[in-house]
Amino acid sequence: MRVDIQSLGTYNRLAQEGAEHAAASLTQMTGIETYVDVTNVTLMSKQDVEDVFGGTEFVGVQIGLGGGLSGETALAFDQESAASIVDVLVPGASADDDGEFDEMARSGINEIGNIMMGGFVDGWADYLGASVDMTPPNYVERAGTDVLPDGALDRADEEHVFVFESQMTAVDQEIDAYIYMLPEYGAFADMLAASDDHDDAIPMDKLTVFDEMTRQGAEQAAGNVSSMTGIETDVDVSRLSFVPIEDVPNTARDEVYIGTVMEFKGTPGGYLAILFDEPSARTIVDATVPMELDEPLGEMGESAIEELGNIMTSGFIDGWANVLQTSIDHTPPELVHDMGAAILSPIAGRLGQSQEYAFLMDSMVVTPEGEFNCELYAIPDERKLKEALDSLLVERSDQLEADQESLF
Amino acid sequence: METYGRGTDSARTRRRVGIADFAVTGDGAVLTTSGLGSCLGVGLFDESAGVAGLAHTMLPTAPDDADNVAKFSDTGIDAVVSAMRREGATVGDIRAKLAGGSAMFEFDSQEESIGKRNVAVGRTTLERLGIPIVAADVGGDSGRSLRFEGDTGVLVVKSAGDERRL
Repeated sequence: MRVDIQSLGTYNRLAQEGAEHAAASLTQMTGIETYVDVTNVTLMSKQDVEDVFGGTEFVGVQIGLGGGLSGETALAFDQESAASIVDVLVPGASADDDGEFDEMARSGINEIGNIMMGGFVDGWADYLGASVDMTPPNYVERAGTDVLPDGALDRADEEHVFVFESQMTAVDQEIDAYIYMLPEYGAFADMLAASDDHDDAIPMDKLTVFDEMTRQGAEQAAGNVSSMTGIETDVDVSRLSFVPIEDVPNTARDEVYIGTVMEFKGTPGGYLAILFDEPSARTIVDATVPMELDEPLGEMGESAIEELGNIMTSGFIDGWANVLQTSIDHTPPELVHDMGAAILSPIAGRLGQSQEYAFLMDSMVVTPEGEFNCELYAIPDERKLKEALDSLLVERSDQLEADQESLF
Repeated sequence: METYGRGTDSARTRRRVGIADFAVTGDGAVLTTSGLGSCLGVGLFDESAGVAGLAHTMLPTAPDDADNVAKFSDTGIDAVVSAMRREGATVGDIRAKLAGGSAMFEFDSQEESIGKRNVAVGRTTLERLGIPIVAADVGGDSGRSLRFEGDTGVLVVKSAGDERRL
């Protein structure tokens, strides 16, 4: 099947608008000013889903969809955010010592879930010109992937799943909420399928290969960090998402990062940013610079990070070049030390001149003991990505899948 | 994109402006935006009407079929000015302050950088509307965060550990 980029963009916009309605409902009911941070649609393998959702405690509701749009949705809060909302919504209701919510609190969460998800699907129903049926909300208090609708993980095992994700954040408080929507694969694939004469389409199977390529690039980069620092590392999250170009800068957290950025030349063209938050950077500098520094992130520390960025970049590029069987030209990685969004904004700006959406491949390199983490953002030029995928031979991708299995 | 109306909140409420987004206040709210790199921040203030607006634009010039006018410096400024007029502002009384438009990387600064072009288009657009620029903190190679005080029109720029009041 081939995916029509324009229609993927349309559905992303519907999800964005839906999330804005949901956030407005949350604000209206609680008086807590919230906004939608990022909305993306991600193509996930089972491993991606496990990486993204693993190890977190969620409270929320699940609601099934039928009619014009079939699939599953979940509205999830982390435990503390849910407690703050319950406090406002149902004063007197509470969590007991184990963090379990009582009946009143649960029905409060159910109610807000129902209203928020109603707002979320309204725009879809309008666009599709068909009503969307919602099942009653099902309250869930679960860890990690279990917050996802039942069966979602099994489906991801057989084929990749599309996951729409919106993150909502409160302006003045530490409250985060997430909406997930997993459209039923077959029906959604039909909605996305491009007609044969559509030259803007991307073949689906090759897109999943590119997702694996990113993971391989991140693995190689992580391996190089381990050899340099002596600290064991692992790739925690690696995923391919499709976001409006103006949302690219906000995919980094609202804090200061230090790292390197470089531009790919040729096919695929694009950009790679390797970013450490400051505490992580300090840890790295301590581990790699043999002397005690007065200012760990001063000139000497920065040059240690730059060196690490260089080494990770070459690992990442090797990963891609292996799959594409071509050499990849790039500018020398440049040191950058600034706010995450500011770092990513010129990349979004340069790509934004010729495309409205971006394929964003983000990976997270972590260590088992949590000494540091590192975020990798690869953002290919859409046109060049299409060219690269077109020239990617199917035999080659089969071989890659075999390699992947032996690797992981 | 959101436009905020008058009288819904008490003074000095904080409103966050995202990327490719703008906000307008007629009740003295503080408008903030963060992580401006090559993007342009435009603070507009009509003192006599007590109406302020802040835009955070990403690209210089809009194509004919732009679906989000707030994304572009030319149409974004037009949109804030229109929203301010609906709140009671008079174009002739509006004053502008600009911030942002950095060249964060070497590879971005070789040709005309996105940041420079954002600033240039911002200036031309304001000139076309007859809105004078009374202060600017643009260019360089550092990111900025902005806080625009809707009751005084003061623009506070934070960048690389510095804080400047325009």
